Amino acid sequence: MKSLAPLFVVLLSAAFAPRAAHALGQSEVDAIVKELDERQRNNGDYKSLVYIEQKEKNKNDLIYQAVVYRRDEDDKLMILFMQPKAEAGKGYLRIDKNLFMYDPTVGRWERRTERERIGGTDSRRADFDESRMAEEFDARFVATEKLGAFDVAHLKLSAKKGVDVAYPVLELWVDTKTGNLLKQQEIALSGRLMRTSYYPKWEKMHSPSKGSDVYFPKEIRIFDEVEKGNQTLIVMQKVDLSSLEANMFTKAWLESKSR
Amino acid sequence: MNSLSYWAVLFVASVRNIFTHKLKSAVVGLLMCFGTGLVVTGTALLDSMEDSMSKSITSSLAGHLQVYSAEAKDELALFGGMMMGREDIGRIANFEDLERVAEQVENVRAIVPMGIDIASITGGNETDRVADTLRTAVAARDQAQIDLLRLQLSLMADALRSEFEAKQAITADKEALAADLQNLDRLQSDAFWLSLSDDPELAIQFIETKIAPMSSDGLIVYLRYVGTDLDEFTKNFERFEIVKGEAVPAGHRGFLFAEKFYEDHVKHKVARDLDRIHRQVHEEEKTIAEDALLRTKVGQMSRQYRRISFQLRPDDAQNLTSELRTMMPEVRAKDGAEPSLEVLLQAFLEVNDQNLDERYAYFYESIAPKIELYKIKVGDVMTIRAYTRSGYLKAVNTKVYGTFNFRGLERSDLAAAANLMDIVTFRDLYGLMSETRREELEQIREEVGAAEIDRQNAEDTLFGGSGQSLVAAPEDTAGFDEFRGQDLAGIREDLAEAYNQRFDAETVARGVALNAAVVLEDPDRLDETKAALQAAFDRSGQPMKVVDWQTASGIVGQFIIVIRLVLYVAIFIIFLVALVIINNTMVMATMERTTEIGTLRAMGAQRSTVMTMFLFETVVLGLLAGVAGALGGALFVTWLGHVGIPAGNQDTLIFLFGGPRMYPAFGLANLAVGLVSILVVSLVSTLYPARLATRIPPVVAMQAKD
Repeated sequence: MKSLAPLFVVLLSAAFAPRAAHALGQSEVDAIVKELDERQRNNGDYKSLVYIEQKEKNKNDLIYQAVVYRRDEDDKLMILFMQPKAEAGKGYLRIDKNLFMYDPTVGRWERRTERERIGGTDSRRADFDESRMAEEFDARFVATEKLGAFDVAHLKLSAKKGVDVAYPVLELWVDTKTGNLLKQQEIALSGRLMRTSYYPKWEKMHSPSKGSDVYFPKEIRIFDEVEKGNQTLIVMQKVDLSSLEANMFTKAWLESKSR
Repeated sequence: MNSLSYWAVLFVASVRNIFTHKLKSAVVGLLMCFGTGLVVTGTALLDSMEDSMSKSITSSLAGHLQVYSAEAKDELALFGGMMMGREDIGRIANFEDLERVAEQVENVRAIVPMGIDIASITGGNETDRVADTLRTAVAARDQAQIDLLRLQLSLMADALRSEFEAKQAITADKEALAADLQNLDRLQSDAFWLSLSDDPELAIQFIETKIAPMSSDGLIVYLRYVGTDLDEFTKNFERFEIVKGEAVPAGHRGFLFAEKFYEDHVKHKVARDLDRIHRQVHEEEKTIAEDALLRTKVGQMSRQYRRISFQLRPDDAQNLTSELRTMMPEVRAKDGAEPSLEVLLQAFLEVNDQNLDERYAYFYESIAPKIELYKIKVGDVMTIRAYTRSGYLKAVNTKVYGTFNFRGLERSDLAAAANLMDIVTFRDLYGLMSETRREELEQIREEVGAAEIDRQNAEDTLFGGSGQSLVAAPEDTAGFDEFRGQDLAGIREDLAEAYNQRFDAETVARGVALNAAVVLEDPDRLDETKAALQAAFDRSGQPMKVVDWQTASGIVGQFIIVIRLVLYVAIFIIFLVALVIINNTMVMATMERTTEIGTLRAMGAQRSTVMTMFLFETVVLGLLAGVAGALGGALFVTWLGHVGIPAGNQDTLIFLFGGPRMYPAFGLANLAVGLVSILVVSLVSTLYPARLATRIPPVVAMQAKD
């Protein structure tokens, strides 16, 4: 994959070169989606301290600080809640297609689905995980548009057959200048718009394991389109691309942190 | 003629006319008799039903009155409303304040705090359960147990393989199927079990992530529960009784399942199905041979054999196989070979009218003790999860102390609609935010300092700048230590200690409740006490709403109103028809009596005399027929009161009847209502013919003579 990265950059530049309102070809669209995944992918491990805040109408705000651990190569993800005290030690562990949740209050694990609202917020597992859009979806071009002051390519993605995703249709608005994802909408099978997410800030960091930069959204703002007025904010406070412990993506490791 | 003689003559004339015009009198009299009987029977049944339902509701969950916040968005519906148990009925911030006011009101015997919510109990499937046991066995270095579990997993793998191989020809995703089969091979390989000693966590993870998803879904039970002061509840709700286990000791957290709910939802699926089939055959006198629905149920049950085979220990499986082979020697595998346990179990569960009793007895005697008959047993600590008011899923562990019933309502689903839990645990699940927690969250928020964005202007706010790149280099956070200054284990320990502490009556009273049941000394003074209680809350400045049990019951409480409405509409229609028939009959009778009336008029009778005569005649007939009808109705109700009306297996009827049979009774009011209504109908229907009669001139009589 590493060797293909420059090719993606070339394809991406070619795709956006005219910057005009004419349609993008399928290969150009595929290149954009592949590049979105590729620039966020880290061949090694990944750890970030995240702040999650959920606002709901007539309800108390939910606020968490959690650590997200990823080992993309093995398809593993773990989220460990650190704050507030009542939630400390809770966590999620994803291995392949399995998502488990651990609650130290009761000392038990439970299977959860792709639609799990992480910590009861509007965020999903995929918001913290490696981006796999090219693998999970088929993309097509919709239009070139304006998003605020940015020129964006509007793409529509449909889930591939047999792939378990939270929502089967995605719409993306990608900055034509930088290739950054700025806006994403998730649509249910019925055609109903479920969530709109904005990615206003991106950061990049050199990854020694990848040998190039890894991009990650510094901030994600998710607006619930069903329960209007509900919104979730995710802020990546700290990121570390150093290697993690060899066998830490296990139930035992997560349990041990609160015992 | 003095007044008495006048009425005496009218009475004699009426009786004479009634007997002279036998056919008319018979038709009209029968109608009146039937109408009165119907009113007496109908109103007596309804009153009895209302009385029974009142007892069902007041002595099980509602009390006589219910109190909840006047600021509630939804109506209180104790037995479920339109929001399926998630009604927003506001909250009582501190139950103690409410209790203080209520205790001052005369006729209030007790006030019990409550909080109704929906929760779920979940668990993995059979493979998850075995993987968990394996983890414990590995930690305890219990090799014998590990060997047993290896055998059990191997049997499971065999069953799954045969199912997958059968699917091979029809599946579209052959790659996924091949991968599953490969994983099953790996599970049964020696290499896998050797790896268990090298890296047990990774090996068990393989079972949990690759093997477990191949089996059916795990346990998921949604339940409705009432968090309450269990001591006060037990004391004040007379029908409450413990069936299994014991009551939750004072000051302890604990859970009690409604017995019917426990049997219908927590029991092993095959046992439940078998119970249902057995009940329908024996209590509802159905036969499997003749009842298509029952046959379908048997078919569905037999396909659940794996729920038994997956739970059996290998030695139990072996014994059961030989026992079943002896019991059913005719059963063979498809290729004619000795049948496997799964083939035998499937055949065993294919019950018919002849072998049902024998197999039912065998199941409970020989199979049930070897499987998990209840997913959650009395005495177990179970994990219960509910969405807090902030919308996140919260879980607590609570001990199941036992099951309970409301006497007489053992078979009612409605009475078993709610399980019981202590109110302190309810408050934990309700998730009300304490001041300390609010401050803690504010502190975390301040550290991040993220600005709030309005949805409407989000795009302008976030992307309205120069259109320059939004990518920045992060501050150097490499190697950050997330555990520095964090003692997750210590935090959990403190929380667990606080959770496990015993609580006193003051803790129960001091805190949030969603509603409260008020039990009265004298239920006949319900309206008066309701008004006094409402006034007391208004005076105290607590915005509370006081409602009677019927209103608080939600849709269930309205049943009786609907039934009463239907009866009244039916009576109205019957009376309308009667009115038309009586009217027509009387008009025809008037025509027949033209000469007689003309003669009377010629003899000097006034029009008012003719009118009075007609009406009087109807009243006499109405009284005779009405009394007969009322007596008939009363006798019928008395007979029903003696034999009882069975509710059958109709859940709603059991609840309405206050038990499996209702024994109705009538009162004087029912008789009076019957008589008065029939007299009114009769008089109204006679008005027109009587008026016609008054218009007959004397000359008509003379002409007729000519």
